[in-house]
Amino acid sequence: MLFHTPQFFLFFVVVVALFYASPRPFRKYILLAASYFFYMCWNAKFILLIMALTAIDYAAARWIRRAATGARRKAALVTSLAANLGFLGFFKYYNFLASNLGLLIGKPADAWALAIILPMGISFHTFQSMSYVIDVYRGQQEPIVNVVDYALYIAFFPQLVAGPIVRARNFFRDLYDWRAPDAAEQLLGVWLVVFGLVKKLVVADQFARLADAYFANPAAYPGWLAAWSGVLAFSIQIFFDFSGYTDMAIGLAHLLGFRFPENFRRPYLASSITDFWRRWHISLSTWLRDYLYIPLGGNRGGRLKTYRNLLLTMLLGGLWHGASWNFVIWGGYHGGLLAAERALGLEPKPSLNPLRVLLTFALASIGWVFFRARTLHASLEILWRLFHAPAGHLTWPHWQLWIAFASLALAVAEERFQWFERLPETPAWVYSGVIAVCLLCLELIGFTDRPVPFVYFQF
Amino acid sequence: MTRLQLPLRLGLALVFFLALDSLAFRTGYTSILEPNSTAGYLQQFVWNEIHRPLTGPNQVLAVGDSRVGLKTRVANLLTPETGYTLATIAVPGTTPRCWYYMLREVDPGRDRYAAILVPFDTYNDREFEPVADREMDLRYLAPLLRLSDLWSFSMSYTEWPLRALAARTVLLKGMAFQQDFQAYLAHRHAREENVRLVHRMGAFWIYNSVWERHNLEGIEVDWAANRVRVPDWADAARRREIEEVLLRPVPPITPSYAAYRLRWIGAIVDRYRGTRTRIVFYRLPRGPVARPGLPEDAASSVRQLARRPGAMLIDEHTFDSLERPELFGDAMHLNEAGGIEFSRALAQLVRKWLGPAGIASTVRDERKDVSGRVPTRHARVRAPQEPAR
Repeated sequence: MLFHTPQFFLFFVVVVALFYASPRPFRKYILLAASYFFYMCWNAKFILLIMALTAIDYAAARWIRRAATGARRKAALVTSLAANLGFLGFFKYYNFLASNLGLLIGKPADAWALAIILPMGISFHTFQSMSYVIDVYRGQQEPIVNVVDYALYIAFFPQLVAGPIVRARNFFRDLYDWRAPDAAEQLLGVWLVVFGLVKKLVVADQFARLADAYFANPAAYPGWLAAWSGVLAFSIQIFFDFSGYTDMAIGLAHLLGFRFPENFRRPYLASSITDFWRRWHISLSTWLRDYLYIPLGGNRGGRLKTYRNLLLTMLLGGLWHGASWNFVIWGGYHGGLLAAERALGLEPKPSLNPLRVLLTFALASIGWVFFRARTLHASLEILWRLFHAPAGHLTWPHWQLWIAFASLALAVAEERFQWFERLPETPAWVYSGVIAVCLLCLELIGFTDRPVPFVYFQF
Repeated sequence: MTRLQLPLRLGLALVFFLALDSLAFRTGYTSILEPNSTAGYLQQFVWNEIHRPLTGPNQVLAVGDSRVGLKTRVANLLTPETGYTLATIAVPGTTPRCWYYMLREVDPGRDRYAAILVPFDTYNDREFEPVADREMDLRYLAPLLRLSDLWSFSMSYTEWPLRALAARTVLLKGMAFQQDFQAYLAHRHAREENVRLVHRMGAFWIYNSVWERHNLEGIEVDWAANRVRVPDWADAARRREIEEVLLRPVPPITPSYAAYRLRWIGAIVDRYRGTRTRIVFYRLPRGPVARPGLPEDAASSVRQLARRPGAMLIDEHTFDSLERPELFGDAMHLNEAGGIEFSRALAQLVRKWLGPAGIASTVRDERKDVSGRVPTRHARVRAPQEPAR
């Protein structure tokens, strides 16, 4: 049940109706049942996995609180982390490790391969679980008494599949001090859902066709212009795909009275890679900062250690995205750029500097080559094509070029005027007119019989 | 802000959206549909017919599908003799449901034609191909459907998913033309040029096309053994198609097919009730070899419809003489020679069925009785010439 399918909208309407028609004490049960149903629509068997992880982390947090000694507290924390990383490691990284080990000792890559299905959203909900247990261990979060509350935090359907990774304190603040969204929040929620749909279906899926065609067979599109067309198409696809999903998730949660944090802040207008990571997948980058970079020492141990920590954090961040050397290299590439910027003393500038923005965008796009290409060999081949003659041709049709320009204009306008958040405050005819134009775009370009899955669902 | 803001604004957005959709797609977009698309192809026939200069009141229009072997250029060589001009909007793959909406489009005033020729493959209600829930009709008809068709058109499907799809096609034109619109955006100039060319030349191409020159001479069917011997020139695909069509089991007479015909052919007849236009039912030449021994059904929907005012039922054996292998290019379609022979015969028969040209247009006033009602024309015209079977 993907967010951009009619089945999901029917499901959501039923959930909202039941949620608001029920007495308040029952509402969390409705949300939990709906969330489990949503998860089981993908694969019913794996609900046991999410329930098991929920139980382990719930118990671990309670144990940490009750434990008399530091060693027991640590044991509870380690148990929880081992369970989360164990499940994540097995489902996501087993085949990667097994194939590399096999190759190391001269066995075929698939000698120990298993047919493993990656459980939906496991990377996201394990990170969410771990942050909760670590926060309890650090004394920054009270352990949750009611297991239903905790289960809802882990499985809440708007963010279950691909985030944003919500911190426990924010979620439970909304759950325990729940207040119905006022009219402005409702309007914002609907606007986020509609605009998220436009981002995904009108922009991302259109550019996905171009990117898929290029990455499937780069040799069929000779020339650096064609190579840049394919790579930039993927840059556009992945941003609009993921931020479209996030907007929808935040909007859906808003309509249920939960306020999720911002996850993207126009990352392609960043003036450096450091700035880029302050704007891209914010909930992951702050998670990595708080639970990996800072515990590794952050920038407290001198320049070299800072560079090492940046590199390690980004390498692991890359590996979090997927079990392949390409993701590791992608993470390492960004870690290297972050370290280089720090070494050069490049600070993000508050005002837009077109040259720096362009350079950052180009660097981020080059990184996406590793993210999107199937193999390391394919990545290197595409990188070679990006910088070698002949020129070839742009593969974008004119109207997709216009979509890209329109998107850029809207992003710049948002950067300067914050029109996006202000839309619900505008007169009714403006708000309704904008929604109507979005619906028309969806009608003409968006809705197809075969929905394209969200890119980040595979993580 | 009040709590009503959300429903109010969403309602307003929906109104704006429908207005934008209508503005974009109900104000002329259909004239630039891709001519090679399903909808564009049908639209091309409609456009040609609307823009065809009329040479007088004795226009006769043929509706139907690809089996209508009418070559109007051949038929109209006989106009000086018959007094009637024949035209066609017979589009391959269309069904009676499509014919109704096409007629509504080309003849909004119901005063353009002396007669409309409605073909049947059989006068019995044997449904060789299911048509009531045919999704393809949605693609054909998207340009012709109006908001007022929402209920009647959608409910003409029997399955709910198709009804929903039909309702969507009526309501949201943008969605119906989504692929066409995207293709237009991608190649705007080429499309506009192509459309201009088709508007200029389309009628010429339709009316002067040359059909299959092969024929099926030598075909032999052993109905008892359910075997067919196809001429050597036919390739494997043609051979398979001929076998599939000729040897397919005869379906039973179904009430649902009768209901479908009553609904859509009936709608055509009723549309022209009280006008000068006669609706002529005739049976097409069935194929290079006709399956023997199928009983006639005296209570079939076609015969019921023929009793309605304005309808004429032509003897179903009128074109039996054309059911010869040398006149067919495949199991269902007349070849070039067959088309020429059929068109000549049809032109002459139209004269016979309708009477001398010119009378049809003046009959209108004479036909009204003192109460102002129009008597059943088919009975008056047909009775002496075409006894009902």
